[in-house]
This record gives sequence, structure tokens and C-alpha cells, in this order.
Amino acid sequence: MSNETAAPGVRIRDLTVVYKTPAGELPAVRGVDLTLAPGTITGVVGESGSGKSTLALSLLNAVQPPGRIAAGSVEIDGLGDVLTLRGEDLRRARGRQVGYVFQAAQNSLNPLKTIGKQLLDLGRSHEVEDLRGLVRDAKDLLARMGMDGARVLDSYQHELSGGMRQRVGIMLALVLNAKVVVLDEPTTALDMITQATILRIIREVHEERALTTLVITHDVGAVAEVADSLAVMYGGRVVEHGPVTEVLGEARHPYTQGLIRAIPRLTGDLSLARALPGRPPTLGTLPTQGCVFRERCERRMEVCETDEPMAVNRDGRTVACHAADRHLTLIKRKEFV
Amino acid sequence: MITGTGITKVFKQRGGVLGAREVPALRGVDFAIAKGGAVSFIGESGSGKTTLGRIIAGLESHDAGEIVIDDVPMSSLSHRRRQPYFRRVQLIHQDPYSALNPTRTIHQTLEAPLKLRAKQTGRPRSWVDGRAAELLAMVGIDPGYVLPRYPHQLSGGMRQRVVIARALTMDPEVLVADEAVSMIDVSLRLGILALLKDLRERLNVGVLFITHDIATARYIGDDGELYVLYRGQVVERGATEKIIADPVHPYTQSLLSAIPVLHGLERPGAERVVPKEMQREGEPDAGCLFARRCPFSTERCANEMPVLARDQDIEQEYACFHPRRRSVIPVGVGE
Repeated sequence: MSNETAAPGVRIRDLTVVYKTPAGELPAVRGVDLTLAPGTITGVVGESGSGKSTLALSLLNAVQPPGRIAAGSVEIDGLGDVLTLRGEDLRRARGRQVGYVFQAAQNSLNPLKTIGKQLLDLGRSHEVEDLRGLVRDAKDLLARMGMDGARVLDSYQHELSGGMRQRVGIMLALVLNAKVVVLDEPTTALDMITQATILRIIREVHEERALTTLVITHDVGAVAEVADSLAVMYGGRVVEHGPVTEVLGEARHPYTQGLIRAIPRLTGDLSLARALPGRPPTLGTLPTQGCVFRERCERRMEVCETDEPMAVNRDGRTVACHAADRHLTLIKRKEFV
Repeated sequence: MITGTGITKVFKQRGGVLGAREVPALRGVDFAIAKGGAVSFIGESGSGKTTLGRIIAGLESHDAGEIVIDDVPMSSLSHRRRQPYFRRVQLIHQDPYSALNPTRTIHQTLEAPLKLRAKQTGRPRSWVDGRAAELLAMVGIDPGYVLPRYPHQLSGGMRQRVVIARALTMDPEVLVADEAVSMIDVSLRLGILALLKDLRERLNVGVLFITHDIATARYIGDDGELYVLYRGQVVERGATEKIIADPVHPYTQSLLSAIPVLHGLERPGAERVVPKEMQREGEPDAGCLFARRCPFSTERCANEMPVLARDQDIEQEYACFHPRRRSVIPVGVGE
């Protein structure tokens, strides 16, 4: 596969992932529809328990027990429905077609082997015949990200800083020429300047290699800097999705609005910023009917108690909210107006 | 009031291919934290901010310099006689998940230090339970719900509030909050920051806020003071709002430039500063510590080390030969 191949599209349809608990099977992801347009970066933002990492794992069909994909499909162009892949086909797709940079890349590297050794292991497990070519590609990628490739390949993970390990993780996800790349919390635990550097690198490599990229994060700022479109998850649902500037500029879902209001900023009136009341739901505290956000919502109505809001698509934006649906009042953050 | 002058700390590393080497963590730092004041230490990993916080909390020794608590120089006291002074400084840990003993209920967690406090202040045993409930109410959680529970039964935000309540059992003069919100869910962070601000006002307790995220430092109080640390040196110091609005040191400007822009609500500052290179380990100590990465460095910077000082045109102190105001922070759309 060459770098010139067009970026694939990804279509997640009606995806439901359940976890087995003492209280029965509970949905961590429920009825999610999400399309990753070819060649774009989609950011998925959510707090703990929002289901964002479970959603990301579904792209690899890698949800581990006690979790189970209960329904839905994940169609990737040129690969088909990932959820129907089994055994060797699935193993080959991981890495070859879908690259994955795990949360805290520092913990997903083997501490006992040099980076170069791990690269060769990866190559062999995917039957790469030209291992020299693989090493060359790896060095090119590392150089592209501002590192001395030969030195890094000779290093053990403890000899590298957090920012360097993160770039090694990105290299390992891309070196087999995967066209769909999933990055789970790529900048968590990194310093500010390193974070900015990594985000810039993600954007540049994404464009140069014509990728379709999914970035999972709790940090709205990180996504705002790098993504084309933004999906907001809450309680296992995608509650809002659209172009990043529109979702941030005119958030329609009360949760998105509250989340934006809760981000500490460098400018603006301090008194207008505030935390969301209540706390994020866990699997056990998710309401079984009605809107999952209603307990923290300042615009809740009677219907929110009983009916789950449907995701409604309008002008390229998706919102799942009874209130946003009824009257499309756009509440901007006042201090920015 | 806690002040420090010339605080110096050197970490000695053993082994490695280079043999033993010394890594300066703090290079003669001066600071002052007033009762009820708000001071923030900003910097990246390796800046020395956490080490300084631990020295101030009495959890780490220093190699040179003097710490003075309520006009008493700590060097004049024996280790044992220092303890009551350092007890007035309480550290709030970054990780509310590991800071609480998982085998103790919140009641037990608060009871132990409160019993000690009751003994110290000659209060009756009966005071302890009432005080525990009072402290929990003060940090914004329902004592009836929380007291009988174990840490794992509480959310991260609640646990962090319990950690703060435990720090308050000692009636501290200063709370040292090291990355106190970095592990809290985004929607709840402002709540913890507002609590720290509220405690300043209600209890007149000083807050030393240690973070890599300058934006959060604003929320501790708009009268706060900011110290920007780089490799153990304070490179810029002044009023928090002033430094955010008008930074003059290129390192401060790099930090502020690195804060993500919320496209759609904001646009990037016109003069964002990006360091020329990434930070490396074992950098030389000659000249300005930031010179190699600084886009504006000159020959002088490579040879001479600037000291923290003030000049008449610029309100804050800075350690730079070429200070210049640059508009680096995001601007609200429509401003």
C-alpha cells in the first residue's frame, strides 16, 4: 500500500457495547452513530465513564470481557465490517489497516526490549519481508517528528522522555502504513509545550500520509487545536457532533455548553466560568430511561424524564437533546460575545 | 507568612554511563507566601516547582538558603522543633485516588489528625466528630453521606474534597496544592478551584498552587502572584493577571502560546512563540538557561546568565536580557 492511497472512510452504525456487572449487562456505549469522513481528524471528547475509550477499542474489535459488542457495525473502506472479522484476519487488520496509539504510550512499550527490537517484532508478526525497509520507514517517521531515529531505536523506553515515548507510539502505529489511526489521550500527562508539539506533529503527519484519524480525549482544548470535527460523548451516547469551530462557537447541547463554560481560560470574566453541577454518571448510576444528562441539565423538561432524545441532524450538525430540538436557541459563552 | 531566600537544591544522580552527576533542581529561589495570599508556581517537568513545594511543606530538605515561618528561621531549630511550624503547611496531593487510605472510612481518616489537634489545643474529645462534619461541609460535601464511606465509594471530585478537608484538620496557614485538579474530570475542575479560592477568603488560608497550566492559576484568585520556573530558576514573577496579559520572558510566552486555542470561540494570538528545540536532559548551565531553545537569543544570552530583576517600564520581575511584550494568548472571536 502506498502513501498515495486515498484515506478511507469509517462508518460506525448503531454501536452498542455492554459490560457484564453484578447488576446485569449495562451499556457503556449505546446506539452510537458516527461517521469519520475520509482524510479528516475527528475528536471525541468525554469525561470518565463517557464510553469514549470503549468506542475507540471497538474500531479494532478489541473490547475485552467483561465487555461485549452487543450490536452495530463498524465499516472501514477497503476492510469491511471490523466487527465481523475474527482470528488471523482481525490480527492482521490491527496495525496494517488500523493503527492504535494507546493511552499513556509509555506504559504500552515493553521495558525489557529496545524500541528497535519491538519494531522488528511488530514487523515479523505482520509478515513484513523487507525488515530493513521497515527500519528505514521508522527512522524517517521519527526524524519527521524531530527525533534521531537511530538513537531512539537503540533506546529502552526508560531512556526516553514522555514526549519522546508518545512519538514512538505514533511511529509504531503508522509504520505499517495504517490509514486509519486511533489516538487515545495522546497528550495526557505531557507538559504544555510538549503537548503543543505533539498536536502539531499529529496534524502534519495526518495530512502528509492522507490518514483518517480519531483522537479520543477528555481535553476539549487538545481537540480544538487539532480536529476538524468534534463529537461529544456523555453516558455512552454521542450527544453532539459537528465541525469543531461550530460546535465550540455555538454549542447546542446543554452538556457541551456546560463543558465549554467549565474550561479554565486565559481571558474572559472569571465569574462567568463555572463547574457543571453534579458529577459524570457511572455504569451503575446511568438512568435506564429518559435523557442521560438530565440530572445535571439546567434546561431539563418533563419529557427528558421519560424519553431518550433522538440524535437529530440539521445543517451538518447532530444534536441529541429535547431542548435544543424544540427551540434552536444558541447560547454563547457571554464573555466571548 | 512563609518566606524563602536563596533556596537551592541539587539532586545527585549515581550510576549511568556518565557516572555520578549533579542535577540542580533549584538555583537560589526567593519566595514569599502571605497568610490568605495566593501564589502559583508554573513550569514544566524539571522546572523544580514540585521540589520547591515539598521543601515548603517540610517534606524535603534543601542544600542552601533559608526558610522563615512566622519570623522564625527554620535553620535555627532542631528537626523536631521544626515540625510544629511545618504542620502549618499542608500538602494536597495530586492524585486523590492514592492519597487516601483505602481501608479506612472517611470518618477514620479525619478522626486521627483531629484527635491530635484536640490534644494540642486542649479541646475535649467530643469536639472531634463535630469538627469532622464541619470541615466536610466547608469543602462542599454532605458529611452524613461521606463519613461512613470508604474512598472507593466516592468520585474523584469528592475524594479531592476529602483530601482538602483532611489538610484543614491541622488549621494550616498555607495549603500547597500540587496539580490538584489535573486528575479531576474537566466539568468538575472549576469547582475544586472555586473551593480553594473560597477557603482563602473564609479561613484566610494561603494557597500555593503548583501547576503546568497557567490558565487554572487565575481561578485561585485574581489578586494572586505568579512565579514562572524554568530549570530551577524563577524567570518571571509578578501579578498573575499582569503576567498572563503582558508576559515579557520568551519562556513564559512559549508556555502561554502552547495553550490550545478554542477555534470557533477564539483565534490565536498574533505573536505566538514556539521554542526552537525541545527540552533535553543534561543541558549546559552556561549563560541563560533558556538560550538554546529561545528564538530571540543572542550571543550575550549564551555566555551570561540573566538574574531576576525589575526595570522601570515593566511591572513584573524577569530574568532576560531582551524582554519584550508580545501578544501570545488567544483572543476571543468578536473582541
